[in-house]
Amino acid sequence: RDDLSAFTKGLKGLDGQFSQQVYDANGKLKETSSGRVALAAPRLFRWEYAKPYEQLIVADGKRVWVYDPDLEQVTRRPQGAEEQNSPLAALIDPSRLDRDYLITEDGSADGLEWLALKPRKGDEAGFQSARLGFGQQGLATMQVVDALGQKTRITFTGWQRNPAFSATTFKFTPPKGVDVVGEG
Amino acid sequence: CATTVPRAPLPPAEREAAVARQASREEALAQQPDWNLQGRVALSNGQRGGSGRIDWRQDGAAFQVALSAPITRQSWRIEGDAGSARLQGLDGGPRSGPDAARLLREATGWDIPVQALASWVRGARAARGGPAQLQFSADGRLAGLQQDGWTLDYGDWRPSAVPGLELPMRISAQRDSARVRLVVDEWSGDGASP
Repeated sequence: RDDLSAFTKGLKGLDGQFSQQVYDANGKLKETSSGRVALAAPRLFRWEYAKPYEQLIVADGKRVWVYDPDLEQVTRRPQGAEEQNSPLAALIDPSRLDRDYLITEDGSADGLEWLALKPRKGDEAGFQSARLGFGQQGLATMQVVDALGQKTRITFTGWQRNPAFSATTFKFTPPKGVDVVGEG
Repeated sequence: CATTVPRAPLPPAEREAAVARQASREEALAQQPDWNLQGRVALSNGQRGGSGRIDWRQDGAAFQVALSAPITRQSWRIEGDAGSARLQGLDGGPRSGPDAARLLREATGWDIPVQALASWVRGARAARGGPAQLQFSADGRLAGLQQDGWTLDYGDWRPSAVPGLELPMRISAQRDSARVRLVVDEWSGDGASP
């Protein structure tokens, strides 16, 4: 628990690299992707998937934009309840972590200290369980198991704490010629 | 799609040859009833939209289609066969019914012809569908297919594991304002890429 507080104390923003593995319910590795993730108070985030293909997800505080260059589509939705689906977004606002999740110590494994997060509003969260693993550089791994038993593990490296973000980091303007769909 | 080859109508003789090739292609595909595709899909109906990863497994008439959202990969799945379907992972809990397309429409408002798409995504006419029109690109490959009110566009054909049988990596399906865009990252299973 103190790892979490140490990590989130005075934390206004984070910028780092991530690598993501997705396993199906039988544990078979289905996807490996990687890229950059940036977070900033109060609820801004930016996931830049670079490999194996590009995808950009930006939350500008009002809307969440998903841009798939290969699919030539931008999907836009109001930024709202879905935040519970990503415990990471709540990290920047620790008070929301306790409000949205039941947090319990989950021992140490793979050289990390783990916390288990259970969504307080079970049905809405869309995932069964989430675990956060802390190492020397703070949050090292986030694991989410969804309602169908699919497991997503995201490992983070190279965290920069409270970096100076450029004005456009958490902004998104749809490129010309790309369909924009969705409400909000 | 981005990689469409010019689609000037073929001269009659070449068109006949292309139509015949399509028929034999569909027979070859029928010999490969078990396949799997992994890729990305974008749905839209003018106002609402979504995109995510798609994993489609087909074993004869039985299908299992899983869609997962960006980042947390929160997923939902529809599975079934010719006479039954089950939808899991969406708010409101599991649902089942005789027809996958109706189940999907009730749960999501999306009108997705799951059964016909199982043929269309491999570049074949739906056997139980109505009459279909075909268009071929200058290189003789299937470029467009219209059936049951849907318009399919194909691009980026690649060889599959079966010699001489190609599969499309880019497929889009459109009817009125509903549109499904699919980029296949990998075909697998016997009818698939090596």
